[in-house]
Amino acid sequence: MSVLSVRNLRVRYTVKGPEILKGIDFDVEGDDFLAMIGPSGAGKSTLIRCVNRLVEPTGGQITLLGQDVCALNARQLRGLRRNVGMIFQEFNLINRMSVMDNVLSGRLGYTSNIRSLFRHFPKKDISQALDYLDRVGLGEHINKRADELSGGQRQRVGIARALMQQPKLLLLDEPTSALDPKISREVMALILSIAKELGVPTLCNIHDVQLAKEFCNRIIGLQDGYKKFDGATATLHESDLEEIYAMEVL
Amino acid sequence: MATVQSHSNGLPLKTDIQIGLRRKRQMRMALIWGGFLLFAAWCLNGTIIEDTDWSRIGGRNGVFASLGRYLTIDWNLLPELIVPTIETFMMASVGTVLGCFFSLPVAWLGAANVTPNKIILYPLGRFMMVISRSVHEIVWALIFVSAVGLGALPGVLAIAMRSVGFISKITAEAIENIDAKPVEAIRATGGNEFQVLYYGILPQIYPVVLATVIFEWDINIRRSAVMGLVGAGGLGLLFFRQMNSFNYGGVSMVILAILLLIMLGEIISHYLRKAVT
Repeated sequence: MSVLSVRNLRVRYTVKGPEILKGIDFDVEGDDFLAMIGPSGAGKSTLIRCVNRLVEPTGGQITLLGQDVCALNARQLRGLRRNVGMIFQEFNLINRMSVMDNVLSGRLGYTSNIRSLFRHFPKKDISQALDYLDRVGLGEHINKRADELSGGQRQRVGIARALMQQPKLLLLDEPTSALDPKISREVMALILSIAKELGVPTLCNIHDVQLAKEFCNRIIGLQDGYKKFDGATATLHESDLEEIYAMEVL
Repeated sequence: MATVQSHSNGLPLKTDIQIGLRRKRQMRMALIWGGFLLFAAWCLNGTIIEDTDWSRIGGRNGVFASLGRYLTIDWNLLPELIVPTIETFMMASVGTVLGCFFSLPVAWLGAANVTPNKIILYPLGRFMMVISRSVHEIVWALIFVSAVGLGALPGVLAIAMRSVGFISKITAEAIENIDAKPVEAIRATGGNEFQVLYYGILPQIYPVVLATVIFEWDINIRRSAVMGLVGAGGLGLLFFRQMNSFNYGGVSMVILAILLLIMLGEIISHYLRKAVT
């Protein structure tokens, strides 16, 4: 069974507004590192935010880890979100907190209010955070403030935070578009190797087709709220790209 | 091209039109200023000319003699000043801290992007901000003196209530202007509403809140210095007593103490604000 399956997904932000997603279907399997490509405004960010309901779908069905995402109440939804690590385009770190506290905030879904009030995380979490910070290469920067780091380093903090959740699915929303090409490759390679190591399926929004081809085993192409392509990376041809990006060419 | 001439004085017609427009504007200005002066004269007549007991003022010398009495300073009052000065300082400090505690929930209700209920609780929060500021601190003190009796406690409560308006308004505005991205990240980790507030929002607003609280504390020292006028403790009470016993040197001494205390507060708050920003 797929980890994530999306059926006929539709989204409108306002009742009378335009439909952003117009009936999307796809599945993510256990060993996928799946890229979602498409021009800006195609609905990639909206789609990825529907998976953990940061955006409320207006229609369709999402099944994640065997649960009907749209039917969950607030408490169940928080329980589900704990299992889904998310990495953001602009890192979304808490700038005034230390690197360590940012990474530990990945455990909030598992932490009581009293503990989170005093930032008193269990020893196990702290040693886990130290391990992940070493793994992403930030062992030297643990007690710095998040806003003292460079872009690439901040995204590594974001990665460590997502890993702290012990995720069963990773969502990446344009993880490299705020970074330069060299750092982008390093960050993608790091995420890919960790995802393979931990066996976590990954869904990745990316507008850089070159990076998508290089790192992902499967590609979905979105255009203006419709799915235009879905297949293994090797089967993506120039003509498919032309169709997906047709609107931009015009 | 021939210019159109006016009938009377041989000047071009557009000059006439321009002069007419200027006349009109001059008339309007004269009306506005005339009206304003009449209004000012009416106010002056009502408040000062008719409302002053001219016979009691006496001559010009009498006025200066009365004011002159304040130029002496009664240094003998000094030992009696120490405790009320400390009390004034403490009233301001405790009142500010208490006001800060009241302000956080009010700001939470009154910030459009985090309010738990837009129809009832949001207007309620906004209403509390307005009430706090539109009632004068002396009036708050009168209310609390009648509720809890004389002493420093009503002063502390009055200052707390008066502080809520400003602190909570600035805090609510800071909340409305936060960056939504960290909030989204905390939500995505499965954090609950409290954790979103505490990790996503609080770190972003606390420098603004802290600077505002320090500023308010500075103002509260001024406010607590007059609390005693209505029986709520501090230097004001001493001021009131000196005034009632016609000890004008004593009044000046108390004013001097207030001045020093306020300067001290100003200096402390200057450095504290520098430290947090």
